[in-house]
Amino acid sequence: MAFSLTVNGNRHTVDVDSDTPLLWVIRDELGLKGTKFGCGAGLCGACTVHVNGQPARSCSTAIELVDGAEITTIEGLSEGGNLHPLQQAWISEGVPQCGYCQSGQIMTAAHLLANNPSPSRDDIVAAMTGNLCRCGTYARIVAAVESVAGSVGHYQPGQEGA
Amino acid sequence: MTMNRRDFMKVSTGASGSLVLALSLPGCASVQTGFEPETGEWTPDVWLELNKQDEITFTLARVEMGQGTYTGLTTLIAEELDVDPARIQVKFAPVAPEYRNPFIGLQLTGGSTSVASSWQPLREAGASARLMLVMAAARVWGVDANNCRTDNGRVLHPNGVDSLRYGQLVELADKEVIRGDVPLKPRSEWKYIGKQAGKLDARAKATGTAVYGIDVELPGMVYAVMTRSPRYGGRAQSFNRDEILAMAGVQAAFITERGVAVVAGSYWKARKAQQAVRVEWDFSEALDTTVDEVFEGYRKAASEDPGEQERSEGGVDEAISKAGRVVEAEYEQPYLAHAPMEPMNATAWYHDGGMEIWAPTQAPDLGRIAACRNSDLSPDDVTVHTTFLGGGFGRRLTQDYIEEAAAVAYELKVPVKLIWSREEDMRHGFWRPAMLHRMTASLDGADLTGWDHQIVGPQVLDWYVRNAAPAQYPWAPKFLYNTLGKVGLMVEGLATPKDVSAIEGAIGYPYQVPNVSVRHTHTDPGVPITWWRSVGYSHNGFAVETFMDELAHEAGQDPLEFRRKLLAREPRHARVLERAAELAQWGTSLPEGRARGIALFQSFGTYVAQVVEAGIENGEIRVYKVTASVDCGQVVNPRIVEDQISGGILFGLTAALFGEITFNKGEVQQSNFHDYRLLQMHQVPEVVVDIVDSDEAPTGVGEPGVPPVIPALGNALFALTGKRQRRLPLAA
Ligand code: FES
Ligand code: FES
Repeated sequence: MAFSLTVNGNRHTVDVDSDTPLLWVIRDELGLKGTKFGCGAGLCGACTVHVNGQPARSCSTAIELVDGAEITTIEGLSEGGNLHPLQQAWISEGVPQCGYCQSGQIMTAAHLLANNPSPSRDDIVAAMTGNLCRCGTYARIVAAVESVAGSVGHYQPGQEGA
Repeated sequence: MTMNRRDFMKVSTGASGSLVLALSLPGCASVQTGFEPETGEWTPDVWLELNKQDEITFTLARVEMGQGTYTGLTTLIAEELDVDPARIQVKFAPVAPEYRNPFIGLQLTGGSTSVASSWQPLREAGASARLMLVMAAARVWGVDANNCRTDNGRVLHPNGVDSLRYGQLVELADKEVIRGDVPLKPRSEWKYIGKQAGKLDARAKATGTAVYGIDVELPGMVYAVMTRSPRYGGRAQSFNRDEILAMAGVQAAFITERGVAVVAGSYWKARKAQQAVRVEWDFSEALDTTVDEVFEGYRKAASEDPGEQERSEGGVDEAISKAGRVVEAEYEQPYLAHAPMEPMNATAWYHDGGMEIWAPTQAPDLGRIAACRNSDLSPDDVTVHTTFLGGGFGRRLTQDYIEEAAAVAYELKVPVKLIWSREEDMRHGFWRPAMLHRMTASLDGADLTGWDHQIVGPQVLDWYVRNAAPAQYPWAPKFLYNTLGKVGLMVEGLATPKDVSAIEGAIGYPYQVPNVSVRHTHTDPGVPITWWRSVGYSHNGFAVETFMDELAHEAGQDPLEFRRKLLAREPRHARVLERAAELAQWGTSLPEGRARGIALFQSFGTYVAQVVEAGIENGEIRVYKVTASVDCGQVVNPRIVEDQISGGILFGLTAALFGEITFNKGEVQQSNFHDYRLLQMHQVPEVVVDIVDSDEAPTGVGEPGVPPVIPALGNALFALTGKRQRRLPLAA
């Protein structure tokens, strides 16, 4: 079946089974490999993307439910070559270890900041706690988010109405 | 080509005049190095290339799985070459015999050896290249090389005005011959080693551009999934092949050694078709174990077989029989999964008579063997490209996922990506073994006079040697592989190193006690096992340091004081213990409902003491703070040490609080992160990592954070509740 979606500002039409998870459409049909597969069951957050401005577990979101939606992936955060302030913070804080969970972590944090530019530590933990990191980078994630909290008011993720 | 710097480095001219240094990392005495003195044969381990465009490439024989190898090793070269580490491009080495890890003798990354084994030679390589460039510049200028300095990729003329870029000098530099030792920078002049340098791969990982195994994409690639026996060792006999082949999008379906493969044009189509697969299994050799039987078996073995004596001092039996007081305890630890965030996967392509593999593997050498196991190929026909690893923790030392992808690719002759689901990852693992420990000690007043530690359970090498042996004997014909595995076991200590995986950490018992006995009762229930972050230290740490706490309590002493007085001859142990206690304000009062526990454990040459502050809230264990003091010798990158130690602490806490894989009639009962839980952000304690300033050679940091945190938490809970927990995971 054909579905259309806008990913990082680009319109695409894909022909896949209607129950195909958005994750595999993004990764394998559109070739955007930054969004990761961790559990396939909504339990880890590695596959987090924004759907119409809301964070979603793309592994558990069937394509038929997002037909026509606006999607932002990790690749879309830094469009135009400018890193998102969170990505910059991730680099200066040296957050990633193996790095596999980090796209999902950043997408969750980006949504938090888009809605609450100055979150408290509790706000950060509450928003992020569903994103697992087996390497245990949590403290650096909090530090990175805190380092940009309050300074990202200018940021609007591409095409999102967050 | 000039032979240079004793026998472990070669200088040559690369493509378009670049300067290439190839070096072989020297190993410890018992393990082979790149240089064979008898034959004069020589194979390098690492390549450093500088070209005329000032591009510097470092080809790395270790894989990056998050433990900071990429940054750490590059920093060593950069320091002596005198360039910013960020300017060096790192490439992962494809597998070839020349990429062997000197401490282990195979190309694999594990055992926290990367920085330790590369410390000296990489600095010497950087220094040699720099010296050759300086000598070349001095020759151009007609000045004394001793008066030239370097700065971030340039050689500076003594006149303070002129300078030459390294790139301008590479073509001249390879003619320079260094005589004698290359001087290394004194510590006081380090610019990059030991400084809070960033991580070189952080940008790729923060922008989603780092390529992991699962991200590999090849033209015409198809997707495979494998249905494996629900019980380890079961074999597929038949399945509803016609029905599966008739399903939409399915391109192939067949039985392999590992189970039933289903291949489709997309991952999702393959997965959906898999749900309809019905297999007749031959369970005649399959695992039939239930977890309680494992421990029953261990108890029986412990009583019948006193075990191999692994350490013995004084006379423990006599000390115990004469003792004023004898204390006994038995500890149990469950099977544990690695659960790295990136599920197992591999991509394979059989073409032109050879097999190419792309995989996130910790042991590409073994990947080659796995890739040819089910075909007429030999390891020489296999090339393994390693990618970034989404976590390893030991799981990716076992190459079953490469074997599977290769088996499918061999049939299909098109590129195949095989991906495991998380459920498959959880159920078809190789586990940290379940273990039983029987401890007996004698106390004379408050003095510990005897220590008897009986370790009961399997050892990892038994499961590993079958896979590893052929890589250690690359000349052996393939039909000998299974035999080699068995021979490797029989002549343990000769063909393979002695397997200390069950006893490590126990035989190194550091406390000064006159009568010590450590025994291993070797019994293997047939559950597949492998190395797991910190291996034997992970279970011995819990047994030894919990028992020490029990003994302190029995002796009526403070647990810190009790340990301290037994460490007079172990200054490095004593120092981290003191520092952790002081930083954590050991002995001061805490808010109601909280208590502290302490533990000390050395692993992989690194000394770690930890104090855990914990309580119980709403029926759940809460860990508030972990203070760790670490002595890992010289520090290459403090940030990475901090990350690895605190990452190890969270890994250990996850095991202590939640970790347990159980079997029912041979089937694993856990399936995903809801029933094999990982620590989440809201459960994370404050972690303080204190690094001891040291001049000793650097030691590993990837694993040593794990062992002490488990007993330290248990000891804190005992201090809180007065109830001793002797099995893991801990209960509230
Ligand atoms: S992969 Fe989607 S939540 Fe884990
Ligand atoms: S950095 Fe490895 S899982 Fe988060």
